[in-house]
Amino acid sequence: MENKHVHETNPKRTFITVLIFIAIIVVGLLTIRSPKLKYALSPQQTVELVTQEDDVMYPYELEDILSGVNDTVILIDIRDVFEFGRGHIEGAENIAAITLLNEDHIKRLEQLKDNGMTVVIYGNDQLQANGPWMVFRQLGFDNVKVLLGGYDFYKQWEGMLGDTYYEDSYLLGGPSFDYAEVAASAANVDNTEAGETLKPVTVTRKKKAKVAEGGC
Amino acid sequence: MNRNYIILAILFLILASGLLLLPERENYKQISPGELMRDVVQNTRYLTTDQVAQMIIEGDPTLELVDVRNEGDYFEYSLPRAINVPLDSILAEDYIGYFGIEDMNVVFFSNDDIKADQAWVIAKRMGYKSIYVMKGGLNCWIKTIIQPQSPAETASKEEFELYDFRKGASMYFTGAEISAPASDGEQAVTVKRKKKSSVAEGGC
Repeated sequence: MENKHVHETNPKRTFITVLIFIAIIVVGLLTIRSPKLKYALSPQQTVELVTQEDDVMYPYELEDILSGVNDTVILIDIRDVFEFGRGHIEGAENIAAITLLNEDHIKRLEQLKDNGMTVVIYGNDQLQANGPWMVFRQLGFDNVKVLLGGYDFYKQWEGMLGDTYYEDSYLLGGPSFDYAEVAASAANVDNTEAGETLKPVTVTRKKKAKVAEGGC
Repeated sequence: MNRNYIILAILFLILASGLLLLPERENYKQISPGELMRDVVQNTRYLTTDQVAQMIIEGDPTLELVDVRNEGDYFEYSLPRAINVPLDSILAEDYIGYFGIEDMNVVFFSNDDIKADQAWVIAKRMGYKSIYVMKGGLNCWIKTIIQPQSPAETASKEEFELYDFRKGASMYFTGAEISAPASDGEQAVTVKRKKKSSVAEGGC
């Protein structure tokens, strides 16, 4: 009996030790913190997403949504309650950008996705909705689109959205100037008529764009 | 040999094989979707063209201008000292070294601000700090810095000061002569009215 290890003398004890060990591991695995929200797209996939420029809704498409012809689209206004109260696209829901990832709203979006609904988010302009749209797409909500032109463009053309089919001032991404030429010929700042140096240019978007009037 | 030892050894080997299932460790620290959304909805990332012009003129050594347009556009015209990282290759190995440099303030710009903003969101997710977007992009740069428009006679003093800055900046960036400003007469007008706080002239 000398020098015999405790496990060799008492098999039950071994069994209990192993059991406790496994129990600790199982508890550890169960309580491991898994983040509620996970990226569905890798960074590289996100780069491909933004270079494709597919998930957009053109303002003229709103016509069918507002008239009820297209009832598979939910509009979500991501501006704050104050701005929403001042005016919004008819039938739009208001979910302020800062609350978009609240549990309730995520559940609602998941529901909409399961029901095959398209979610179009908009802010005052396309830029405001761009970030939230990218986050949603990275989370795997591939039914989320962004409204080109945003609320500002809608407001400007309210009631005649169908006429915006040939309008392209809301398209972003292209140059409004021939930069090299303008920079070279900017000799006369005060007398330069803006119109003279503006040139119709082709943007990399789907349509040809004229020079965007108005702000940047 | 005791049977118990064999069983224990096999058990731990099985458990150890679980390590193979652990996710691969990434060499950058991505931020969580929640953090990303929180940062995305704030507007603190936008710098005006005036701010950027000021930094270039002052020769700010921490300024790292990143042109996210394609190579052809970049070589045709870009901002002084800007580097070119096309949006579609922002994560490519050739370019990744441009980001995450300590103390550098990265400012993305494109034709307007959409592409630059998209580059910003991706860089933000990758955990890079001190990154910004030039609001309005090059279109706004031309409108405000290269071809500044004289404010209305009734404009506030600040607007005239801004215009003076832009005239100077325009000369700095184009080497152009500026024709005699017609503003001498305007400054003689002494009537000062409180103006409605309209959007600053020429702002983007």
